[in-house]
Amino acid sequence: MIQTILDALSYGGLYGLAALGIGLVFGVMRLVNFAHGELIAIGAYLLIVTIDLGLPISISIAVTGTAILALLMEFSVFKRLRLAEPSVLLIASFGVSVFLQRLYEVIFGALPLSGQIAPWMTGVIEFGDTTITRGSLVTIGLALVLLGGMWFFIEKTTLGLQIRAASSDFQTARLLGVRSNRVIGAAFVFSGVLAAAVAFVLVTQRGSVDPLFGVNITILALVGTVIGGLGSLQGAALGGFAVGTTISLLNSFLGNYRIYTYTWLFILVIIVLLVRPGGLISNKAVKERV
Amino acid sequence: MSLLNVEDLQAGYGKVQVLFNGHIKVEPGELVGIVGPNGAGKSTFLGAIAGAVKASHGTIEFGGESIRSKNPEDIVRLGLALVPEGRAIFTDLTVNENLRLGLTGRREKSGAQKAIEEVIDLFPVLITHRNHQAGLLSGGQQQQLAIARALVSEPKLLMLDEPSLGLSPTVIQDVFGVLNRIQDQGTAIIVVEQRAHLVMSIAARTLVIREGHVRATLLREDAQDEARLAAAYFGTGEDLE
Ligand SMILES: Nc1ncnc2c1ncn2[C@@H]1O[C@H](COP(=O)(O)OP(=O)(O)OP(=O)(O)O)[C@@H](O)[C@H]1O
Ligand SMILES: [Mg+2]
Repeated sequence: MIQTILDALSYGGLYGLAALGIGLVFGVMRLVNFAHGELIAIGAYLLIVTIDLGLPISISIAVTGTAILALLMEFSVFKRLRLAEPSVLLIASFGVSVFLQRLYEVIFGALPLSGQIAPWMTGVIEFGDTTITRGSLVTIGLALVLLGGMWFFIEKTTLGLQIRAASSDFQTARLLGVRSNRVIGAAFVFSGVLAAAVAFVLVTQRGSVDPLFGVNITILALVGTVIGGLGSLQGAALGGFAVGTTISLLNSFLGNYRIYTYTWLFILVIIVLLVRPGGLISNKAVKERV
Repeated sequence: MSLLNVEDLQAGYGKVQVLFNGHIKVEPGELVGIVGPNGAGKSTFLGAIAGAVKASHGTIEFGGESIRSKNPEDIVRLGLALVPEGRAIFTDLTVNENLRLGLTGRREKSGAQKAIEEVIDLFPVLITHRNHQAGLLSGGQQQQLAIARALVSEPKLLMLDEPSLGLSPTVIQDVFGVLNRIQDQGTAIIVVEQRAHLVMSIAARTLVIREGHVRATLLREDAQDEARLAAAYFGTGEDLE
């Protein structure tokens, strides 16, 4: 029972981190970045390839590398599409996503690359009769620290304030002096850092990485950002958390019928969106006045 | 040398040209009005000056420097601030956060907190609401916040796009009263308005824009001359320029 709850919380935290990464970029440039999955994948590849250097160095390389790739996406593709329609951006991000998947295939091969990252995370801790996995505790801790850190950055720093302003009205933010490239660059860097954290948790669970490593969680996290209310950062994190916990709980309760987990998940998603089309946290908390 | 000197400005959206001949000169500390019917291109004119709308042709000099190809975030740092039409405050942020955003466009980074305190003194209604969500303010308070937010960057020229929109007459009096005080402090102002009488009561000169052209310049005395006003505004009779 305790393990079920911890699993649900850690899944929730993991999906919350993924959804926040997507939500940050969506907020400032109305871009649904499908290539977020390939950021998660590069994080995992870097971890596995460099793990012999020791975990701290490996993690540093993965975080830095993922953030750099995120910035590279922005500079090489999205920056050139500033004035494009959201649909064009969407297609472009599809393109980046598929391009990177093929690139990973060329560099790392199409088959899964395996490696042991932090094997201690799969161990268990015993409390009398109940045992819980270390992995779920570490994931929950990591999610709390990162979500807390992001909250502080967004709510309490000047750059965070500028990101919030740009997310709600970029044109006006620029008129006040908010530098668009700086704000968008920051959003990409942070989404890269969050992707690397997700990569770390996922790769310790799975023990291997392949070119499509990040696709699944990205689609589900996207569902989370939509449920949370596109455009709201708390909404994204919360929506991702809701999707993650729901998947985890469905998995445990359905037992042998867990092949139906996603069926039930999407039934629930549709119900939520029918009841609250704007998402759980609607971006416009206050109606605008004339 | 004029603070702002715009000549032969053309601008539009995509292939649609909206502004055909925008020109204006503003001296330091001067208050200039712009009037004209709906869709005449007034907002486009201000937007092009502030860098928010792309100008395809013409010159825009501010403080002797050409700013036509600059982007809005750099233009505001030179001391040219625009309060856009419809207030455009950040409704999800607090009043104080809105004001802090205004600091982004300051040339000098020192004295930021002092600038906020000085500006908020001009708008006493904002003081009690400082930590409230800006979307909860009344329409008039939101307009005052939008002006206050532009002022904390300490602009040399403040451009306001229809500040009276949707406000009651008493609130309009408040807002225009503040404009007088801002001008007294040495800030030049451009005010776009639908209502000619309103802006001519505070502006020494008022330009009339119709169909993308600056068609006439009205002086304060002209406010008494209804026939001349109507002619300039609706384009009946000869252009006055
Ligand atoms: N973002 C835009 N995209 C395309 N066309 C636009 C845009 N903004 C304005 N226009 C068009 O440009 C023309 C002039 O608009 P503008 O807003 O400059 O007029 P205005 O004088 O400010 O009018 P109002 O008094 O109604 O505010 C209008 O025909 C309008 O449809
Ligand atoms: Mg207008």
